Amino acid sequence: MCEGILVQEADLSAFRAKLGSEVEQALPDKKVIRKEDTTYRIISKSVTEYQFIVPFDLPDEERVEVGQIFSIKDHDEARGRRLTFLARVLDIQHGSNYEGNWDTTMKGTQFFDKEQIFNRVFAEPLGCVNCDGSFRRSRTIPTKFSKVSRAERSEFKFLKQVMGDIEIGYLRNGSRLVEEIPVALHSDTIDHHMGVFATTGMGKSNFMKVFAASCMRLAARGESKFGLLIVDPHGEYLKGKGSIKGLMHLKRYRDGLACYSTDQKNSKDPYVEELAISKGEVRPEDVALLYEWSPPQREALDAISRIFEAGNWLEEIQSPDGLERMMQEKFKDSTVNVLVRRIKNILEKNKYIQGRSSLANMLANLQSGKVVLVDIPRMSDRSELFLLSVISRYIMEEYKKDEREGRKNCLITIEEAQRVLGAGSNTSRFETIAREGRKFGVGLCAITQQPKLIDKQLLSQFNTLVIMGLGDRNDRIQLEESAKQDLSTLDIEIQTLEKGEAIVSTLNIPFPVPARIHRFEDYLRRLEKDDANEALISRGGFRPFLE
Amino acid sequence: MKIVHLADSHLGFSSYSRLDQHGQNRIEEMIYSGFDQAIEKIIQLRPDAVVHAGDVFHHVRPKIKPLVIFQRGLFRLAEMGIPVIIISGNHDAPKSYSITGPFRLFEGLRGVHIAQRYKYERFEVGDYNFHCIPFCLEPRDYLTEFERIERSSRDVLVMHGLVESLRSRKMRSVGEHELKDSLLKSDFDYIALGHFHGQTPICANAWYSGSVEYFNFGEAADRKGMLLVDLEKGTVESVQVRPKYMIDCPAVDCSGLSSEEISECLMELCHDYEIRDKMIRINLTNVNRAAYRSIDQGKINRLGAAALYFKIKLQFNDEAERSERPVDRHKLHEEFSNFLRGEASQKRIPKAILDEVVAYGSELMKKAVQSRNIEAFDASQ
Ligand SMILES: Nc1ncnc2c1ncn2[C@@H]1O[C@H](COP(=O)(O)OP(=O)(O)OP(=O)(O)O)[C@@H](O)[C@H]1O
Ligand SMILES: [Mg+2]
Repeated sequence: MCEGILVQEADLSAFRAKLGSEVEQALPDKKVIRKEDTTYRIISKSVTEYQFIVPFDLPDEERVEVGQIFSIKDHDEARGRRLTFLARVLDIQHGSNYEGNWDTTMKGTQFFDKEQIFNRVFAEPLGCVNCDGSFRRSRTIPTKFSKVSRAERSEFKFLKQVMGDIEIGYLRNGSRLVEEIPVALHSDTIDHHMGVFATTGMGKSNFMKVFAASCMRLAARGESKFGLLIVDPHGEYLKGKGSIKGLMHLKRYRDGLACYSTDQKNSKDPYVEELAISKGEVRPEDVALLYEWSPPQREALDAISRIFEAGNWLEEIQSPDGLERMMQEKFKDSTVNVLVRRIKNILEKNKYIQGRSSLANMLANLQSGKVVLVDIPRMSDRSELFLLSVISRYIMEEYKKDEREGRKNCLITIEEAQRVLGAGSNTSRFETIAREGRKFGVGLCAITQQPKLIDKQLLSQFNTLVIMGLGDRNDRIQLEESAKQDLSTLDIEIQTLEKGEAIVSTLNIPFPVPARIHRFEDYLRRLEKDDANEALISRGGFRPFLE
Repeated sequence: MKIVHLADSHLGFSSYSRLDQHGQNRIEEMIYSGFDQAIEKIIQLRPDAVVHAGDVFHHVRPKIKPLVIFQRGLFRLAEMGIPVIIISGNHDAPKSYSITGPFRLFEGLRGVHIAQRYKYERFEVGDYNFHCIPFCLEPRDYLTEFERIERSSRDVLVMHGLVESLRSRKMRSVGEHELKDSLLKSDFDYIALGHFHGQTPICANAWYSGSVEYFNFGEAADRKGMLLVDLEKGTVESVQVRPKYMIDCPAVDCSGLSSEEISECLMELCHDYEIRDKMIRINLTNVNRAAYRSIDQGKINRLGAAALYFKIKLQFNDEAERSERPVDRHKLHEEFSNFLRGEASQKRIPKAILDEVVAYGSELMKKAVQSRNIEAFDASQ
């Protein structure tokens, strides 16, 4: 510090200019290294992890986030290099070129040198795209110092080729959308079971509606490959609630939907059939689901199919003659009376059990590839399981019979699936479907908030996972340990997913894809509008050529 | 209130061209007499109304005779003060607005209510509302017309078509429409259905009355007649109009039988089934061709002369294998799109225009086929 010397502002700048030119003259062959030359370039490290650095003080717009996908352009025409690598950010750390505890120095003249600090980004390779636009897993590393930039639409084009026919959302890069790239599941993999996982309120129901809407569209156009059964105990899918829309609102593709309801209000609609199950279709195993049974009661229940005719037991056991026959089999009348009382109670409560049956029709609709919605609002947990059990047994039995030509596969949705697919649950029916349904073209779509309660071995048979926000670590671990694709690196991202955001892991798409699930109401509007041109064609109009 | 529910009279149907001594088609006459008998039966039952659930006539442009027979029946009922509710069906409704259907002749008669304008109509008879959905031009229309129904607390629904749950029983007649099961609401006091010729309950409150007559051997096992429905009590009672007169005999295995034995077998069957004035089909399987040829054909003809209709269905022992192979039959537009997709997979058609061409072409073909069918169907025979 030179005391007493006053420097005029103008003199100072002149001095600086002079100094600058002197420095440059003094270093004739040297060049100043600029930030742009060192950041956003691959600096390490291996086939399984890429690292690059970015400025430590980026504006919000440019901040790097976990889950973002970057592209690494390893291009050098002259040397015949044209690969583009894609990598997903796993972590971001503070870094610097200093060693030791420089950043915690307590006292001194200079605290730090901005030029030497940065953020280090750790990214996981997804694969590489070659010049003809095809994608494959990468067995090599990008050339050192290759340029890194946030992946653009054009670099995701290859994804279009691997996407399926059931659109569910758009590709997401971090929290930004890539609108032109829809994320779509494959019909072909659907009989392999599928899982939808999210903490409450993260958008499971919304997802199912979007999924069903895409299926309706396929069905109405005669392109569907499977029928989708949804049993809806909350009464939220048919007409929605308030501003939340339902599947009935997708008028354009209503032909792809068949609705059954126990709700008088809903079944007034000509498109909605009153749900009916005939007494002959109820089996003792179904009734078993509805109550807790003492061992003798259980035994009596199990004996029913031996003593009575399958189609008629529900009536017969209630008659004096039926009581007699049970007692001949050495069951106490008190035991049988409990059974009969409970059966009466079931019939009383479930008015849809009557002479007619909707099941054959439901089956026909599923086999022709439609979405079948069974709307049972305000039904108790157990009654719902009972109904689901009756329906899915019927479906399974029918699918086991000879395959009719042109029969479509079937996907059975189970809400709160941990109830029936949990370790130690007594509802072996669904586990049977999970284990052997595929052979007959029947798959499960399990929806749950608590994947940790689902039997691990079952979970490992799920080929399509739609994972939305999951706060509980054990839930994530369970999924990561049983998923077919490696999800372990995505732990942080899954934890930080927001409402409607998802990671979609499915067989035909080479890596778990980040997606923003469509908001159903927006998707509806788009479907009604977008496909207007197709309506023109089907009316006999002609749109000569596509681009 | 009690109603009689009947349907599918198909007046004017004639087939198996066997003529009586006046040169009239015997089956056609049989159907007229059955209709007369049905009317007399109704008059005996004294219901508060009659519902005919479609296909009064077999043709869109019936000949004069069926019109006269129908008019006579209508007048009889009017005379007795029994109101009549009728809807048009796929057989007697023209398939376009431009053609005038036969029911226009009977409009405006007192106590006669006819729904035949391809749209929902409501008739108040007694203290009930009869909600009628006649034959509509498009399958979708049934749903939209249904939406116009406003329930009172006493409602009867009348429709014509094949309900979904009988899908396997498709009759494949032109203009056959499927009725969604979702239309069979339990809050109607009664749903009177027409089109399916066997008397069948579909659910507690919905019935096909079936036809009074037989129209082909597929119906041999059907229950025939009308229904007497008590709307207050909710009871449905079957009313037989005439005794069963169609017999499709169980197949007789003729393997190893000589020509004498076969002809003996035929005589026995004819005797056992009392074939006079009946429609009968005898089914013989594993017949030796040569043995059958050597039977005196004149004798066989005389054997069946007393029958209203007589047919021997033969399956020779040398054709057993090929009989059951299903034919892979496609509709024209399916054929067309399969062909184009095949061509495209060989790269003979550019992908970019494939969907476009398939969609447009199929649509044209569907239309062409449809209008062809309609022409054939509307033409008077
Ligand atoms: N992809 C999305 N985009 C925008 N909003 C969404 C999306 N998914 C869900 N939401 C909104 O979040 C709210 C809750 O969604 P939803 O009912 O689907 O959650 P959920 O997981 O089914 O909840 P629950 O566990 O209560 O059944 C709804 O209001 C819905 O509109
Ligand atoms: Mg929900």
